[in-house]
Amino acid sequence: MKKDKQIKLALKNCGSIDPEKIENYIAVDGYKALGTCLGEKGSSEIIDVIKASGLRGRGGGGFPTGEKWEMASKFVADQKYVICNADEGDPGAFMDRSILEGDPHVVLEAMAICGYSIGATEGYIYIRAEYPLAIKRLKMAIDQAKEAGLLGINILGSGFDFDIRLKYGAGAFVCGEETALIASMEGKRGTPVIKPPYPVECGYKGKPTIVNNVETYANIPVIINKGAEWFSSIGTSGSKGTKVFALAGKVKNVGLVEVPMGTTLRELIYDIGGGIINGKKFKAVQSGGPSGGCLTEKHLDTPIDYESLKECGSMMGSGGMIVMDEDDCMVAVAQFYLDFSVEESCGKCVPCREGNHVLYQILNKITHGKGELKDLDKLKAISEVVKSTSLCGLGQTSPNPVLSTLTNFYDEYYDHVVNKKCVSKQCRALVEYKIIEDNCIGCTACKRVCPAEAITGEVKGKHVIDPELCIKCGACIEKCKFNAIIVE
Amino acid sequence: MKKIKTISDLNAIRKVLENDRIDSEDKKVIVKVAMSTCSIATGSKKVISFFREQMGLEAIDSLVVQTGCMGLCHSEPTVIVSVPGKDSVIFGNVTEKKVNEIITSYIKEGNDIEGVLLKKNS
Ligand SMILES: Cc1cc2nc3c(=O)[nH]c(=O)nc-3n(C[C@H](O)[C@H](O)[C@H](O)COP(=O)(O)O)c2cc1C
Ligand code: SF4
Ligand code: SF4
Repeated sequence: MKKDKQIKLALKNCGSIDPEKIENYIAVDGYKALGTCLGEKGSSEIIDVIKASGLRGRGGGGFPTGEKWEMASKFVADQKYVICNADEGDPGAFMDRSILEGDPHVVLEAMAICGYSIGATEGYIYIRAEYPLAIKRLKMAIDQAKEAGLLGINILGSGFDFDIRLKYGAGAFVCGEETALIASMEGKRGTPVIKPPYPVECGYKGKPTIVNNVETYANIPVIINKGAEWFSSIGTSGSKGTKVFALAGKVKNVGLVEVPMGTTLRELIYDIGGGIINGKKFKAVQSGGPSGGCLTEKHLDTPIDYESLKECGSMMGSGGMIVMDEDDCMVAVAQFYLDFSVEESCGKCVPCREGNHVLYQILNKITHGKGELKDLDKLKAISEVVKSTSLCGLGQTSPNPVLSTLTNFYDEYYDHVVNKKCVSKQCRALVEYKIIEDNCIGCTACKRVCPAEAITGEVKGKHVIDPELCIKCGACIEKCKFNAIIVE
Repeated sequence: MKKIKTISDLNAIRKVLENDRIDSEDKKVIVKVAMSTCSIATGSKKVISFFREQMGLEAIDSLVVQTGCMGLCHSEPTVIVSVPGKDSVIFGNVTEKKVNEIITSYIKEGNDIEGVLLKKNS
């Protein structure tokens, strides 16, 4: 496996230090950036460095971090807050968890730097309760940092106070959206509200609040230590630094990778990911989870950066990267993501609540062989409405998997609705199990395993499947040692 | 850790810690076992305690420590082994049996053995 295309900034210490020992972190330049900031830099100087670095939010939106901090710093208030968004709800994504488990202090240090820059003395990490190990290590890290005087009152004799607490999320995807997250922290129902005002002006408890993603914070200390110029030399013109991806699906080397922005999808999937498992053919890659789009073969040379991915109809997202092969049905994939969005929609606005549901039902109809050609137009029209009229990012992006598969895999949709065929043979309603007479030796293995008693035949005689009775469970195919059963 | 009162104290402490960093250790065998959710799910807790036990039994001058994960989820549990004078090596899919092999064949006898994911010179 080639690893040389990777550059580790956010994951710098993951896998090399003991995350439960603050001494280990301090030894690798830990809390050095905080010391530099408190000792030598004023608030605006730090913000200028972050602005000049070109760092953009890693939580999905890609908003310039330095500008966000600058806005929060300019509002006058008796209290401001720094929040770390560790809700990480994308299916298949675990970048933030790995950082928190492998290097918790980096996030604490960055949050303190943020607090100092904007004039906040309190920080909160909003973390999903399903991350017990990350929570345990964060708690240990906070205790150690307090004991060492790196959090708390009068940090390093500078007169700056900063404290960090944990708040737990119950795992609703929408609570990762910053206004819903804040509502949830305030003990209210986790539903988004209209922006503006943005949290930088009116956030937690109505005060100016910074919400940044775990990975965004993980880049801060290294930027302070090595400088904006160094950081901005990595990446592309509009997207600086690196991005961590959770590579999953039908790729050989499933795992976490960190690559410079501008790396192509091909390099990510083939050079680092090792290509497709079992020698199958690559079909699509989904970035951005339920908000992203399915890209195909022709997009493989697209550089990974915020703009390029958007132009292709997908998005950077928070770092989920799911690779699909020839056995994946793209209509079923769209249905899977829609199912997720229907489940996770908070129900506040009609287009998202009802629109996604209708989209899901149409997709369901298609995968069950009951689709009509006009359904494809309906999918498109409803998608556009949901996108343009939903309140928050969930509804504004949830039709993306539908639209991108419709654009990139129109033939597959057409096959489902017109020819009633599913080329990847994933849609049960559209396949038929058959026994090839010539290959069948009459061992009866399939007949014995069939739960529907759909197979008839005598020992050493030819066996037949009754399509009326067959429930398409696939059990017989696994038992047949003679390749006599096929799916069509 | 004792309270650090000033920035210069922090810098002084860092100097000391840098010097006895595990990575700058050049006499002991260093074993780093990835211990994140994915590693633990595949059995790294067993691996780390077995390593500690066996290194003790074999009386090898060593440090066995836990780390976060390197992102090699496809091959967890993963372990980085650094033998003085050699590049560090990452082993994947480590089991108790593999631990025995790493100790006897790789560490004690200095043989190249299978199961190496990649070499690392840090
Ligand atoms: C439905 C939805 C879910 C989101 N989930 C997350 C999440 O899990 N983690 C995260 O950092 N940002 C998430 N965001 C983005 C946040 O609203 C916010 O933009 C982000 O935390 C800002 O941090 P950044 O600028 O560092 O990326 C989500 C947004 C939406 C619309
Ligand atoms: S697919 Fe299942 S139900 Fe159909 S014939 Fe085979 S075993 Fe019977
Ligand atoms: S297992 Fe295969 S060969 Fe045996 S009876 Fe069934 S179909 Fe025929």
